[in-house]
Amino acid sequence: MVYKPIKCLMKVVVSGVKRLELLTFLTTCVTVIILSPAMLFAGDNGPCIECHTKPDKLKVTEKAKIDPVTGEIKVSPMLIDEAAFKASAHGGEDFFCIDCHQDLDGKDVTEGHKPNLKPVDCITFCHDDPAEDYLQSTHVKLMRENSKDVPTCKGCHSGLSYHYTPLGEKSPLHRKLTIDACGSCHQDYLNSYKNNAHGQVATLGHTTTDVPVCFDCHGKHKILNSSDPESKVGKERIMETCGSCHANANASFVRHVEHPQIKNIKYYKTVLAAVKNARSDPENLKKVIKNPQTILCIVFVMYVGILAFTFSAFGLHSLLSWFAVVRDEFRRKEHGDEEQH
Amino acid sequence: MKNNTNYLRFGLFHRFCHFLIIISFFGLVLTGVPLAFKGYGWARWLYELFGGYPTAGYLHRICALITFFAAFVHFIYLFYNVSVQKRKGFFWGPNSLLIQPRDVFDIVGDIKWFLGIGKRPNFDCWIYWEKFEYLSLMWGTLVMAITGLILWFPVQFTKIIPVSVAGIIDLPSIALIVHRYEAILAAGFIFTIHFFHTHLLPEKMPVDEAIFTGRITEEEFKHERLNQYKRLQNQRQLDNYKIAPPSLFVSFLTRLFAVPILITGLIMVGLMFSALLVWAI
Repeated sequence: MVYKPIKCLMKVVVSGVKRLELLTFLTTCVTVIILSPAMLFAGDNGPCIECHTKPDKLKVTEKAKIDPVTGEIKVSPMLIDEAAFKASAHGGEDFFCIDCHQDLDGKDVTEGHKPNLKPVDCITFCHDDPAEDYLQSTHVKLMRENSKDVPTCKGCHSGLSYHYTPLGEKSPLHRKLTIDACGSCHQDYLNSYKNNAHGQVATLGHTTTDVPVCFDCHGKHKILNSSDPESKVGKERIMETCGSCHANANASFVRHVEHPQIKNIKYYKTVLAAVKNARSDPENLKKVIKNPQTILCIVFVMYVGILAFTFSAFGLHSLLSWFAVVRDEFRRKEHGDEEQH
Repeated sequence: MKNNTNYLRFGLFHRFCHFLIIISFFGLVLTGVPLAFKGYGWARWLYELFGGYPTAGYLHRICALITFFAAFVHFIYLFYNVSVQKRKGFFWGPNSLLIQPRDVFDIVGDIKWFLGIGKRPNFDCWIYWEKFEYLSLMWGTLVMAITGLILWFPVQFTKIIPVSVAGIIDLPSIALIVHRYEAILAAGFIFTIHFFHTHLLPEKMPVDEAIFTGRITEEEFKHERLNQYKRLQNQRQLDNYKIAPPSLFVSFLTRLFAVPILITGLIMVGLMFSALLVWAI
């Protein structure tokens, strides 16, 4: 999403006309007309950069923030790497600090400013489309149903990924950070992803657009349950999703298990429980047997057995033959010495 | 005076095949093992050393093609000898690499020797663990080739599976798991069992040169394969196998090539084992 002042202005105009909130519309127009010469001159990051690149000019160089959703404590640097910021998604020529940190707009900051600024509003003027998609997602719906705090924009797009991504969403760093962001809540899915063909390459540090990360399959903001017809991983669209990398993806190919549970103890427990309750609940057992994960788990356990047996048996064999050779050598020498005397 | 009689044990063809297998196997292991141990720093380093994604993958496929080539010429050789030349003894007898009844007695004899209640048994052309290594190489190559090809061409391979079955049997996922753990089995086996049974024995350290120079000394021949020695002596064929000892230069080249390769293998198995320890602790 590129910041376009003209587009934003148009959006305000269009939304104003649409809602026929004439008063708001007129007020906005007047404000824009009055402020436009001021905006031309106010667009200067100088005063901010002046202090935020020099540790000795700041009262604090780092701030601990508690994430309202996860409760996780994150340390945000107050120092800005100017070159990296210029190269980032928000570092364009026509972009200024106060565009986001609006409570400092028009304030004199030569003597510093109040310590805690208002949270940045990403949605209203610029990123309203992704926000709308996001609010329609199963992600948000389920969390609301279960009365859980819904992550805000910054719940996922925070820290480095927000400020320092020269290529935007195509940047390998950004793609890598999204894996961590999703994985910080969906730990089990992250672990199983690491065990599949895509995830093992990503775990080795390669997250270019050739290697799929979470959002390539599940979607970016409109993450929908697979039962939803619009879902990228649902029956209707899965061929298209897999086909975007694997040309000619067929109906059998798309049944691939992307999240193998071979190293998830919870899955083994459900299998064991299903076997135990086979008499009272045969339907459940059938379901477990028909689950492709079960075969994967059996193959995995089989291989662990083969590995353990082979290495212990042949390891013992090597060790014993080594000892026997050394023992024979020793005896031969001893024997030889006696003969000489 | 030291006995300097040498006998030919491996012909040029076998030495060439072993060389091809070394090159391709190390290429496959070095570019493939990082994927199985992706969480470790050394795996990342190794993967980057071979070009990372996708270069390491291409190198892996090139090495796979070399393995296919080696397997192909091996079976051509077998076919030519058995069907065209009508040579006997490939599938039965003392020169065969397949399991024979006397291998069972050899295993029992060897266990007795380990425990100190018997003498070291006398072996023929191939010792039972050499046969096991050969057969597991054949089996392993087959498994790795099939699963590797499935992973290489997942879309084409799943086409042959009906959709109803694909929901229960996920071919690419099974192939990935089999390929990964069969690889760990093969790499671990070669770098420990094969190395310690053949090259790093106290009497051979650091390398058994026979597979590189093709020659063994009379002393080694009698010590390791007395039955074959006696058999050839009785058939009056022993002299046919007599050959000049390897030149110093060839011996030097062998060590120059084999010792770094052995060390690389030992380092790899050490890293893999350390990962197991980290996981266990």
